[in-house]
Amino acid sequence: MKFGLFYELSVPRPWTRESERTVYNNALEQVRLADELGFDQVWAVEHHFLEEYSHCPAPELFLTACAMIAKRIRVGHGIIVCVPEFNHPIKIAERTAVLDILSGGRLEVGTGRSATWTELGGFCANPDSTKKSWDEFVRCLPKMWTQETYAYEGEFWSMPERTIIPKVYQRPHPPMWVAVTSPGTELDAADRGLGSLGLTFGGFAEQEKKIAEYRRRIQLCEPVGEFVNDQVSTVNFLYCHEDDATGRATGRRMADSFNYLAAQLISAREAYPSRSYQSLGLLPQLRRQATGPEASEQAGEGLALGGPERVMRALKRWEAVGVDRVNFLLNAMEVIPQVDVLASLRLFAREVMPAFAESKPANGGAPALSAAKASA
Amino acid sequence: MPLFGMLELPTIVSRLPTLRDLDTEVWSLPGAEILHLAFEVPRDTESLLPRAMHPAIPSYATILVSRYPQSPVGPFVLAQLRLMARAGAHPRGYVLAAVASTVEAAAALQERWGVPAIPGAVSLKRRHDRVTATVTREGTAILDCALVDPEPIAGGDVQYIHSVTLARAPLDGAIAPYLIQVDPRYTFHKAERGRPEVNRLDAAAWNAGALRPLNPISATVCTCDTDLPRIRFVMDPEVPVVRGTRRIRDSREAV
Repeated sequence: MKFGLFYELSVPRPWTRESERTVYNNALEQVRLADELGFDQVWAVEHHFLEEYSHCPAPELFLTACAMIAKRIRVGHGIIVCVPEFNHPIKIAERTAVLDILSGGRLEVGTGRSATWTELGGFCANPDSTKKSWDEFVRCLPKMWTQETYAYEGEFWSMPERTIIPKVYQRPHPPMWVAVTSPGTELDAADRGLGSLGLTFGGFAEQEKKIAEYRRRIQLCEPVGEFVNDQVSTVNFLYCHEDDATGRATGRRMADSFNYLAAQLISAREAYPSRSYQSLGLLPQLRRQATGPEASEQAGEGLALGGPERVMRALKRWEAVGVDRVNFLLNAMEVIPQVDVLASLRLFAREVMPAFAESKPANGGAPALSAAKASA
Repeated sequence: MPLFGMLELPTIVSRLPTLRDLDTEVWSLPGAEILHLAFEVPRDTESLLPRAMHPAIPSYATILVSRYPQSPVGPFVLAQLRLMARAGAHPRGYVLAAVASTVEAAAALQERWGVPAIPGAVSLKRRHDRVTATVTREGTAILDCALVDPEPIAGGDVQYIHSVTLARAPLDGAIAPYLIQVDPRYTFHKAERGRPEVNRLDAAAWNAGALRPLNPISATVCTCDTDLPRIRFVMDPEVPVVRGTRRIRDSREAV
């Protein structure tokens, strides 16, 4: 099992001239340390207008900084919103290629479609068509990275023949993922040979079922890229402390802050009834976790909060249900002082990470991804 | 911490409805037809929202016009303007004002659920390409809106957000202002979605200050069986709801 960091970059009010800069600088310091400690990857979201919850509209810039200050850690663009009003496909291909070059072939590309009216409405995007545009974009992107010249005529965008430059540094191209929040999206990932970038917290039984179906389905996939990225990643909170009770209480404060903020966002479905957003998705789930019966249950079951032994037990269970990677949120609203976040990372690396160092990934090693890395 | 509403409660307390008690019975409302319009509104509408609640991001409002062919007070049509918000982590629509088509319905809604309903002429009409709603008070049109070009959707795609009213209610031997959660159930028989159109919204007549419709979001019209339930939760309007919520009973049906 591999471990990574996952950044929403939440910035609490009151916003001062320095508050956003402090959050970014803290994150970079965490990434530098995580790189030294042996964490495998750092992911950053693309979100717009999500006040306090996420001040990370340009993850490619943050990730470029990460790549420059870290030697080994891979950088995950997670996720690029594949909706034409947000991102033009040519720009996606170009900027990911540049990031792959600058990082020396350490890029991972997450894809998705946005789930909030706050963002979709802000860009005047049509919620009915985001799944279709995502599907079109992910099929184009590998070809734009790899073909010498490219021309395209589609429903959401078109271009005459041009040479899209630069090309990605990794060969054949960076691993591709899709954000999985709504039930069924893991199947969309499997059908296209994409990694499943889970963005939900907790729930072993539900995740185990989803992962099993993903593994079964991906065997028969028609990959949109030049290889199958048969990997399952999930997200978790991390706060590890020598004293289990302190770790749980502090970590719970972080998780509650994050979930409460998430509940403030307007999900697409809340404002705009659409077949494209049939499931309630991530936000209501986080809302329940912030206030419902799951609030206490979650802290005990799947979250990496507490002393090293508890954190290890939780992660071993995730490994057992088939998760290949876990990406950790380290803070929310800066409720945990930076010095404590760094101490938590060090303790985790010292006491927990070694127990997973020799573990064989649940998918048997993701050979396609390994091959891609080796040729980078 | 998210922003909070900035309503100066003393400025509106004199016009709040008064509940007779918190023991309101269930009203079954079969065969209801509900027109629902959502549209963004200016950010400064947070001055209309009680301090216990968080404004939605972005600020938005909904118009609900419901025709109830059967009710304990007979058939009536009810129009409501709601400022959408969060009560803690839960999405809620704070009812700014309401107009009911009968005097009996207005009085009953006020004293049972704290709906700030006043009597007026409310119409809900279906034409081949649109569903229109108008509200007139004392000869003046205060609302004219429509769903344009309806297309069928699944009832399961529609999510109505529960309401919160602000009313004076008797509790602990005193009458004081409380937020009242009104959380109906819906069984959908038919649902359509279209383009929202607000041709006239007299904000002053709807206790809505400087609220004006900006970016239109969505419009639906549904036929459903619904209800008005027993009151389960009341909240102190001046304290964040995570601290100021009182449970009155466990279920919507409990005696």
